[in-house]
Amino acid sequence: MPGLLPFHKSIIERIHDPATNDLLVLARGLGLRRILCTLMKIYDSPKNLVLMVNASQEEESEIGEELGLMGCRNPGLRIVDFEKTNKERQDLYKKGGLISVTSRILVVDMLQANIPTELISGIIVLHAEKVTALVLEAFIVRLYREKNRTGFLKAFTDQPEHITSGLSPLKNIMKELQLRSVHIYPRFHQEIKKSLERRRADVIELSQPLTTSMSEIHQAIIQCITITLSELKRSNTSLDLDDFNVENAYFRSFDIIVRRQLDSVWHKVGPKTKQLVNDLGTLRRLLTYLLSYDSLQFQAYLETLVASNTTSSSGVLKQHPSPWMVTDAANIIFQAAKRRCYTMSPSTKAAERPQVIDVDEEGWDALDEIHGTVGKSSRQNTSRSRKVDKPFWVPQGMDPVLEELPKWTLLADILKEIEGEIIRQESLPPPAVPSTVVPGTNTALVMTSSTREAGILSDFLSDMDAEAPPGTLGRKMMIRKLYSYLAWKGKLNSQQRNDGRGSGSAFAATTFERQNSTALSEALKKKDREKAERSAGRRRVRGGAPSSTTASSSTRKASVEPTLIDVDAPGDSNMEADSFAEFWAATQNATATAVESATVVDADDLDFTSTELLVDFDTNYGLLTPEETVVVRPYSDDGDDSILAEMRPKFIVMFEPNMDFIRRIEVYKSSNPGLAVRVYHMVYGDSCEEHKYLVGIRKEKESFERLIKERATMLLPTLEAKGPGSTSNDALLKTISSRIAGGRREISTTPSQVIVDMREFRSTLPSLLHASNIIVVPATLTVGDYIVTPDICVERKSLSDLISSFNSGRLYTQCELMSVHYKHPVLLIEFEEDKAFSLEIVSDMKSYVKPTAKYPQKKGGGIEGNQAVTSLQSKIVLLLLHFPRVRIIWASSPYATVEIFQELKQANPEPDPVKAISVGAENDAELGAGINSAAEELLRSLPGITAKNVHYVMSKVKNVREFCGLGLEQVQEILGNEPGKLCWEFMHRGE
Amino acid sequence: MSSSTAKPPVVQPGAGNNIIISPTQRGNPVLECIRNVGKEFGDIAADYQVGRTTGVLFLSLKYHRLHPEYIHTRVEKLGHSYGLRIILIHCDVSEHREPIREITKMGLINNITVIVAFSYEDAGHYLSTFKQFEHKPPDLIKERVDKDHNSILRTALTTISRVNKTDVETLKSSFGSFANIAKASNDQLQNLPGFGQVKVKNIKNAFDKPFRNRA
Repeated sequence: MPGLLPFHKSIIERIHDPATNDLLVLARGLGLRRILCTLMKIYDSPKNLVLMVNASQEEESEIGEELGLMGCRNPGLRIVDFEKTNKERQDLYKKGGLISVTSRILVVDMLQANIPTELISGIIVLHAEKVTALVLEAFIVRLYREKNRTGFLKAFTDQPEHITSGLSPLKNIMKELQLRSVHIYPRFHQEIKKSLERRRADVIELSQPLTTSMSEIHQAIIQCITITLSELKRSNTSLDLDDFNVENAYFRSFDIIVRRQLDSVWHKVGPKTKQLVNDLGTLRRLLTYLLSYDSLQFQAYLETLVASNTTSSSGVLKQHPSPWMVTDAANIIFQAAKRRCYTMSPSTKAAERPQVIDVDEEGWDALDEIHGTVGKSSRQNTSRSRKVDKPFWVPQGMDPVLEELPKWTLLADILKEIEGEIIRQESLPPPAVPSTVVPGTNTALVMTSSTREAGILSDFLSDMDAEAPPGTLGRKMMIRKLYSYLAWKGKLNSQQRNDGRGSGSAFAATTFERQNSTALSEALKKKDREKAERSAGRRRVRGGAPSSTTASSSTRKASVEPTLIDVDAPGDSNMEADSFAEFWAATQNATATAVESATVVDADDLDFTSTELLVDFDTNYGLLTPEETVVVRPYSDDGDDSILAEMRPKFIVMFEPNMDFIRRIEVYKSSNPGLAVRVYHMVYGDSCEEHKYLVGIRKEKESFERLIKERATMLLPTLEAKGPGSTSNDALLKTISSRIAGGRREISTTPSQVIVDMREFRSTLPSLLHASNIIVVPATLTVGDYIVTPDICVERKSLSDLISSFNSGRLYTQCELMSVHYKHPVLLIEFEEDKAFSLEIVSDMKSYVKPTAKYPQKKGGGIEGNQAVTSLQSKIVLLLLHFPRVRIIWASSPYATVEIFQELKQANPEPDPVKAISVGAENDAELGAGINSAAEELLRSLPGITAKNVHYVMSKVKNVREFCGLGLEQVQEILGNEPGKLCWEFMHRGE
Repeated sequence: MSSSTAKPPVVQPGAGNNIIISPTQRGNPVLECIRNVGKEFGDIAADYQVGRTTGVLFLSLKYHRLHPEYIHTRVEKLGHSYGLRIILIHCDVSEHREPIREITKMGLINNITVIVAFSYEDAGHYLSTFKQFEHKPPDLIKERVDKDHNSILRTALTTISRVNKTDVETLKSSFGSFANIAKASNDQLQNLPGFGQVKVKNIKNAFDKPFRNRA
């Protein structure tokens, strides 16, 4: 772990005091994690109980790892998620130390007093930018401050752009977190400037023009965006749409802006406008995919888009395709995208595909050829495949073009240059003082924007043909991709045909021919997979040494495994690869143990061990030294810092511009004095990529300026004013106020409470209930979501929930259960706060929840989507007719719900949690256990699974995957004969 | 339908397929919006009798603001008649929170269900649907199994957050069956067009993580 830079130190000095509560806003890429870990290290002992909330899973494991590296094993960071039981959690809390908790679990634990809230030494909140009055973190802080006034609370964020909601966003966040001081550190902060600008990295900016067809597509997409935007403006003249321009439309936040603008009238806008808003998102994605996907994948995505756009799920032709899809510009997109992949020569169009059996043998040979395999049949094939660029399995009349991304060639050039530079440096006499400074490795680090891109690039580099003319270096890889593309396309087409024909007989109707071709593609695919595995094995061996450096983080390895390739891979034989793979398997254990023992020493030693290992490799197998290896990795936020620190690359290629990473390099450079780093920075000139980068920088700067301005004029929240002494006063106030609200004369001895189902903690209502002085009792309820009084049981449904549970029939079952067990079953229909209070809004969601064939509009100018509205309301009517006892609460927002609950609780006895839990719970044996709601939802949506048997199924199998792996008999055994068959057939149809 | 304009024929109240309307409702714009069912006027305790045992009181929030006691007297008059008792609120003011809360509470005490309609169209639709569905079995809202494969697949996969219908199409075309999707590895998913890390993680969570942890 490299030392802290001066500005890191001064930040820590300012925020470390446990007596103060602070919010730190730091520019991205400046090492927030390092600061965080240094701070947490102070509290690494069983005497403290420090909780970290709001961290994503990756962050949890990475922070834990980094703390481990820093020497925190007393006992280091432990993670609490839904897989831990109540008891385990309690023990963990009692033992103290650093704990990262999922917010939902922490809330429940605090409410159930599983955690000794008054003993918490402090809470660390990550992603403070996301905190609003409605999120769980705000609830946690409230619960925390209720019982604990001495513990600290530190909040962190590196996303100033997101602090925008409301009039004074910063103040709102501070109010919710009950903080008084905020520290803002933009990149242009004096101290940071001073620390970073002493040593600058050697940056080479490369602007790569797009190819003709790419820029054609690029322009066409921009045109489509413009068309869509002007269409949107035209159909909503009443709105203030000044922000709607193409520049803004590049950003994801644009969707949010549009939605916020339209939210107030969302129920009034027709499906057309909604479609337009959706289209903007699609187009924006297309733009990024154009620059990052290879031509075939881009084409495949376009085809999927078209397929999902022209047909609805039931296979009926959709009547309203996205407007942009029918424009000329879209036509250009589709044409050009296809031209990038292949062209069809019209003369041979009539010719049939060659006989399937023929292709079989030869296709494999051709594939072998592509992989540079020296098989027994390859000798006779060599001459043939050299002269035909087109493999045999390509349909006749198709000329593969396979345009490559221009950056690939550029990358190859850069790597060549790096190679030359390395040789040049080595020929120089060694520096005078080599022992004090640890030099960087010659590994070239290539950074990409996504894992997918990293994969493509490593594929490209491993199969690269250095002699080929520019633009065709990756021909081999592209041919392989073309192959899988064709296989995929065959599948898509047959699927569409099936869809078109309806559900029942389509399968039997599959022709013999097609069966043959799928069989062929399956076989070839398998072959392909084997190849890929083998080559992966080979690659790993080559990069064995550096990978063991990074592999010290086994968890990270699982998610983003660094892929290592040698630059100038000669065409090694298959046999060689196999033997490598075997060797790898044999040595893996050894390496693993080496790594394990290496984790105790620090990073520098790690480097040393890895070099040793490398020497071992080298002498025995003549592998390449790390000098010649290239590591391709996606950008991964703060994790990149540790990668840089561990690998110490001298050469960094940024395949895509990324402001954060540039800062990381600055930090890396500044904390490694004496290291000459060279950075290649690649941008597509005149593209949205360049523009996005520049606007991103500007936006960050502006948001920092706004924050600083707000801090200067901010009136501090008065909430903090009541000190620890006033808590009793507070309680008194509470009783008085509840008495007034209740209209009762006598002071109630039992405070009002509502029993809330665990699953409901995802929603905002429990937090708001608590805020209005109702005690929230979490419990696992089988019947209902909220028990308000012993007689009133409430099932809460948001609008989208309501529609989906009407469709799935769940609501019917729930009402049945509630009616059996409670005197007053209540259905709560909750509308969203800032959206319109109206059912017409539903027509929007309806369109994808349950698409039905559209009937022709009866009246011109009538309410659009009237049919959809009708059916939801009819269902409500039907429900009421069958359950006359069910009452409906119409709440325009969660706040309204709280008021209604308070009203309902008046003059009524308090509910009994024990009784509420036991109601209807006979069939759920696993009370109080953690719940994976995503998995449960997925399971419920399968045919044959009902609300009644879902618990049984969950007790029989561990997860959905296991359920899918069961045989027909086993599924029937669980679900019963008929539903079991139905379910099994559903899961295995299409195989 | 011409029935909305035609004079309703005089028939025995309570029988047949007509909604019985209290004469007090004459002139209510909702009447225009009751379509596809017959209407007749008759002397009833409720405003609309939309079924043998179903009575509806109509309340415009605007009116309620002026005469807050009106609805209470109506409810009192209603007594214990009807099995399903409904107050149909026409939400025609922007300050609806307070009155709706109050009426909800009153409804709960008096065994009356509240329905909020947002327009006359809406209200009329509720009234006619009540009549039309009077003897309809609840199949429409019960769990059904007769949907076709593709829409079930779509519904199932879109329960996973961030998975949209384009993704369902992609998954279907790349893996074939639901079981194969369940078996797909992280890398396979990652390589599909349109699939980012978060989406892949959500999918894996739903398929691979256990439903419950066993204590």
